[in-house]
Amino acid sequence: MTDITEHTAARPRAEFLHRFSVRDAGTLIGLVVILAVFGALVPGFFAERNLINILQQSSINACLALGMTLVIISGGIDLSVGPTAALSAVISASMLVAGVPFPLAIAAGFAIGLVCGLLNGVLVAYVGLQPFIVTLGTLSTYRALALIYTGGNPVLGLPAGFRAIFNGSLFGLPLAVIIVAVVALIAWILLKKTPFGEYLLAVGGNEEAAYIAGVPITRTKIAAYMISGLLAALAAQILIGRLGAAEPILGNLWELDAIAAAAIGGASLMGGKGSVVGTILGAVILGTMRNGLTLMNVQSFYQLLATGLIILAAMLIDRVTRGRG
Amino acid sequence: MSVIPRLQFEGISKVFPAVRALSDVSFSVGAGEIHGLLGENGAGKSTLLRILSGVYRPTAGSVLIDGSPVTLNNPVAARAAGVAMIHQELQQVPHLSVAQNMFLGHPLTRGGIFVARREQERRAAEALAALDPTIDPAGPLGSLKVAQRQIVEIARALLDRARIVAMDEPTSSLTPSEFERLAEVIAGLARDGVAVVYVSHKLDEVFGICQRATIMRDGVVVGSVDLAQVSEKAVVSMMVGRELAQEQHRSHTSSEVRLSVRGLASATKVHDVSFELHRGEVLGIAGLVGSGRTELLRLLAGADRASSGTVEIDGKAIKLSSPRDAIAAGIGLVPEERKREGIVPLRSISSNMALASMGVLAPRGVIDHTRLKRVAATKMKRVNLRPFLLDRPIRLFSGGNQQKAIIGRWLAAGTRILLFDEPTRGIDVGAKAEIYHLIEELAAEGHSVVVVSSELPEVIRLADRVLVMRDGTVAAAIDRADLNEQAIAAHAIPQSETQAGKAQGHRAGA
Repeated sequence: MTDITEHTAARPRAEFLHRFSVRDAGTLIGLVVILAVFGALVPGFFAERNLINILQQSSINACLALGMTLVIISGGIDLSVGPTAALSAVISASMLVAGVPFPLAIAAGFAIGLVCGLLNGVLVAYVGLQPFIVTLGTLSTYRALALIYTGGNPVLGLPAGFRAIFNGSLFGLPLAVIIVAVVALIAWILLKKTPFGEYLLAVGGNEEAAYIAGVPITRTKIAAYMISGLLAALAAQILIGRLGAAEPILGNLWELDAIAAAAIGGASLMGGKGSVVGTILGAVILGTMRNGLTLMNVQSFYQLLATGLIILAAMLIDRVTRGRG
Repeated sequence: MSVIPRLQFEGISKVFPAVRALSDVSFSVGAGEIHGLLGENGAGKSTLLRILSGVYRPTAGSVLIDGSPVTLNNPVAARAAGVAMIHQELQQVPHLSVAQNMFLGHPLTRGGIFVARREQERRAAEALAALDPTIDPAGPLGSLKVAQRQIVEIARALLDRARIVAMDEPTSSLTPSEFERLAEVIAGLARDGVAVVYVSHKLDEVFGICQRATIMRDGVVVGSVDLAQVSEKAVVSMMVGRELAQEQHRSHTSSEVRLSVRGLASATKVHDVSFELHRGEVLGIAGLVGSGRTELLRLLAGADRASSGTVEIDGKAIKLSSPRDAIAAGIGLVPEERKREGIVPLRSISSNMALASMGVLAPRGVIDHTRLKRVAATKMKRVNLRPFLLDRPIRLFSGGNQQKAIIGRWLAAGTRILLFDEPTRGIDVGAKAEIYHLIEELAAEGHSVVVVSSELPEVIRLADRVLVMRDGTVAAAIDRADLNEQAIAAHAIPQSETQAGKAQGHRAGA
């Protein structure tokens, strides 16, 4: 009896690995191809320093894209991540400039991100408005609040001690990269190992069925938006640490890069599908493109073109490999 | 018959990359004939209809219409060849008007630019006149009932001057009187010389309206039969490939009251419903579509809020403000529309089965996947779910197995009261018997079961006691001893409708 169970259970596991990591493997192959092309065209592309550069340049987008992935899996979208980051940045920055202790200022920034996400989540999950419209509205609202708060001026002169936190490095890797790696690991655990992850996939995959099965729909969705807001705030701290200043217009169009990374990584905007590993790879692909093309002195117009084509190519490959329906 | 058949399939085969869906399918349908197409899910009926309607191209073989081979490369070509397809899930646009839907894809125009709306509505009205004059061609399609929407599809076929009409499970959500109306319309089509291919799971319907039927199994034709010459039982064994044992009802009801409902009402559809459900009892709920049966189940499952009334389990009052409350109290709903309310299609069968038990499977916040797999495996065996592939997405399983997975989900969650809404809708004859068996076993184990069903034989097969609902309330409670179709029907049909029906004929969707 036990024998039979073991035997029949082993085969599907192989099938599972085969079936479910295929999409991530595809994204990885895409990344390898892009790396190889730039390696051949750009001297010194594979220098350790440049590779670390790519990771560092990808880290902010990866951070946002992780939150975006969770929201997209829940069947929603968060267009307000850029302005959420801006609002969090200017408030943390002005507290820092006023001499508030670092932990308190950073915590305030995170709290802003959580509150922004909470508002998005409540409007989507509790009030029942459409995610696209809700976050389009809060995109303008949060941006306006950041501009009004600062009078449109950047907050300058952040203390060196604060900047050191996010500009340090550990084991030869920039701290920002390590922070985002840890966030990615947590996101992966959340999605793969916790009821919250199952609930997200169920809510995005079939909300009505999830409801009948007792999934806490409202709580799950609100949590996804709050995580997205929190990660936007984290991205903001990383950025102002690096720049030493906070501009109320920072994070313009961040939402698009984050959505792109998630989509390249296999998230479906219909909900119910998405991968943490894929999203990280997607963010690195976008970062690599930007880095490589800049090193090749390609004009920014063409960089934009290349980014657009990569997204479309990823979607087309997705479509073709999955076949119709 | 020396007459050339209207529709003829000749040696049709269809091979998909992984499977051979059809091999060498041949049969013919004459002009004016209503021809049943029978078979379990996966027998190849849908594939054959898709070939007929130009969605798939056959790998080999040909389709002949009036004796000449036709090439049906796409749905437009099929339509031009005179084939009209009436889908199970109607492919219509609810926000557009009835007439707009009937001319969808090839609108009438003035000068090739402007849509001739009036002209469309006039012609739509003409086509509808013979079928159901109460339908307003200018009104939004979404406001019609399913039965009327089907009539619209048929009217559209008439407009296209279809010579062949293929209907896929047309009656899966119709009431008996709506079905009668549809049967008349279909007979009318046949009188006009249309060949009708009628796919249905309901054998009594097929025997009622078709002259001949072709039975398919595993992609091949088992046989074409004259329905006047064969019994239902013989047809079933052709479909399933074996004799299905005729089983007797057995009761497991105990005297212990598990669930007690008093004065339950919702804002709209349910009024003052009271009943008791015993341990080990299978309680049937019969009644017409719209009599409040589904709404009652949804109240008990916490999916909708009751406006008044009390629900007690084992003598203790419970509040039901969400499905979570109901699940905590040991109540689980197996919904009618599996695809919409039951399964999460992309997720594995084991994830789907574990969905309601996450709290138990993740005691410290992290899911114990070994335990999850073990629970899912145990329940899969318990409900006899096949194939035994824990990680396979649930959407790749048959309807019957998906249904078993939902039942397994509730067993895993420790549910003691199972509410079934149309437990065998869209499920094969073979799997149907298994579901019946399972329901009886669950009752024997001490579960309490409520079964809502439109199929009277199903209710009679399963129930220890039947509540008949009418206009949102319980019109009658019938004990096993007095249970028969006439008794149920007598209480289910409102007096006014029977009289009005006699006086002025059936008005679909009244």
